[in-house]
Amino acid sequence: MTDLANLSLTEAVTAMQTGKASAVEVLESCLTQLDAQEAGINAVIWMDREYAAESARAADAALARGEPTGLLHGLPLAHKDMYYQAGRLSSCGSTIREDFRPTYTATVIERLSAAGAYAFAGLNMAEFAQNGTGHNAHYGDCHNPWNLDYMTGGSSSGSGAAVAARYTYAALGSDTGGSIRLPAAANGVSGIKPTQTRVSRYGVMPLSFSADNVGPLARTARDCARILSVIAGHDPRDPTSATMPVPDYEAGMNGDLRGLRVGVPTNYFLDECDAPVLSAFTDAVKALEARGAQVVHITLPHMDAVTAYVGVMSRVEGGAIHAQWMRERPQDYAVHINSRLFASLAVPATYYVEAQSRRGPILKAFCADVFTQVDVILSPTIRCCLPTLAATNADSGLPDAVDRFMGISLNTRPFNYLGLPAASIACGFDPNGLPISLQIAGRPFAEATVLKVADAYQQETDWHTKVPEMAKA
Amino acid sequence: MASDDFASKTVTMIAEWHSVTPPNDVALRMVADLAKTISQFEALRGTLRFEDEPSSFEAALVEAAAIGISA
Repeated sequence: MTDLANLSLTEAVTAMQTGKASAVEVLESCLTQLDAQEAGINAVIWMDREYAAESARAADAALARGEPTGLLHGLPLAHKDMYYQAGRLSSCGSTIREDFRPTYTATVIERLSAAGAYAFAGLNMAEFAQNGTGHNAHYGDCHNPWNLDYMTGGSSSGSGAAVAARYTYAALGSDTGGSIRLPAAANGVSGIKPTQTRVSRYGVMPLSFSADNVGPLARTARDCARILSVIAGHDPRDPTSATMPVPDYEAGMNGDLRGLRVGVPTNYFLDECDAPVLSAFTDAVKALEARGAQVVHITLPHMDAVTAYVGVMSRVEGGAIHAQWMRERPQDYAVHINSRLFASLAVPATYYVEAQSRRGPILKAFCADVFTQVDVILSPTIRCCLPTLAATNADSGLPDAVDRFMGISLNTRPFNYLGLPAASIACGFDPNGLPISLQIAGRPFAEATVLKVADAYQQETDWHTKVPEMAKA
Repeated sequence: MASDDFASKTVTMIAEWHSVTPPNDVALRMVADLAKTISQFEALRGTLRFEDEPSSFEAALVEAAAIGISA
């Protein structure tokens, strides 16, 4: 691995802007990492080397001419294969869309491009973003760079693995029940699910109209802040996107947490955690305390309602989106996908309406109770030590596999129902050498606070700098 | 509730309302698991009361953003 490949996103941009590296060299460092590891990891569904080389050369030429440059000038990126780019494949991890080439481009891709980045690959993902483990029956499972036998987390499996393996400095994922935070956690990288409505979803494959979110996975919290500052903000083409102003997410990252209250839940989030996870979490809380944060133990309200309603909301919407394909092409879904979609068709409309109609009131009651006492809520992102791909293969028919499969997202799903921003950052390793991660959630539109806490943790510790052995070669 | 009976009735209901048949045996197990969802909703009955239900979730996000922040 070259030093260039191991830079953070913000460092790579600075290296290009100051002439320490060219865009062509940056791209070559990424492709070298990819070529050396992809046979084992399987993070890529398609890639366009010619376009990437042209884009890198154009970025260097613009710099040489002294043209104004954007926040991400010359940066090669790869994204979960569900962000539409006119004329390019967007498989959505499925057989059903194996030839789908949309005629328009997602707003977030346009914004990244306007900032100077270019997309060179579509990354592996769970079929239609519908599992939290990263299994894919059509394109092959994505494998964890820390140990190829282990799951990557999903559904943005390739995004997590590609960032960890240094194929790319960042990748877009999507998060409906944890699909950014779970692969960030499993691969030991950073990721943030923004507040519901913070980022446009125009041109992004839908899974659940109410709970889908777009966000980045990257090496550091600061990298996530840089990407989010580019993609966040109202989009007239997505009328559900918020009109709230977008702050400078990097501005408050000074490592100083004095005056900030961090909440440690006394219910739900630490239930039945594996001992190594609990130990790493406890150490992470101490690290934040060392940065000046005040630790407050807090009981979170309405968790029974939140967990009941989130499952119904996203499942019913997924069932409605897929009903026609379920009639026409049931054989083209993986077993664990179409079986779950099938069952979702039986959920009564009254249950769905109950979940939806109480979402706003529950959010307000939750925030009034919690965010008057603390500024962020801390928890492990995943409660258990990371399982293997085999142990979580829901298509295997093993009852334990289905339970483990569903258990992965216990700590991430609640924040999708509540619509709150939540980040995941690495905070240790389990006895098998797989990453353990910390989840940080905040009040609506408080991404700057969430990322400030994450950045302060990364200034205090070095877990985010660890590199998988296979990526070092 | 007998789970076999519940699953059978549910499969029939899905076929009539959606014209979709069970794609595999796992689907039947997933249908049986809906009993857990029913239990979760049963447990909530009568426990929640909100004066402002229903309300816009987008508006609630904006309103809740200011909670706990000093002016």
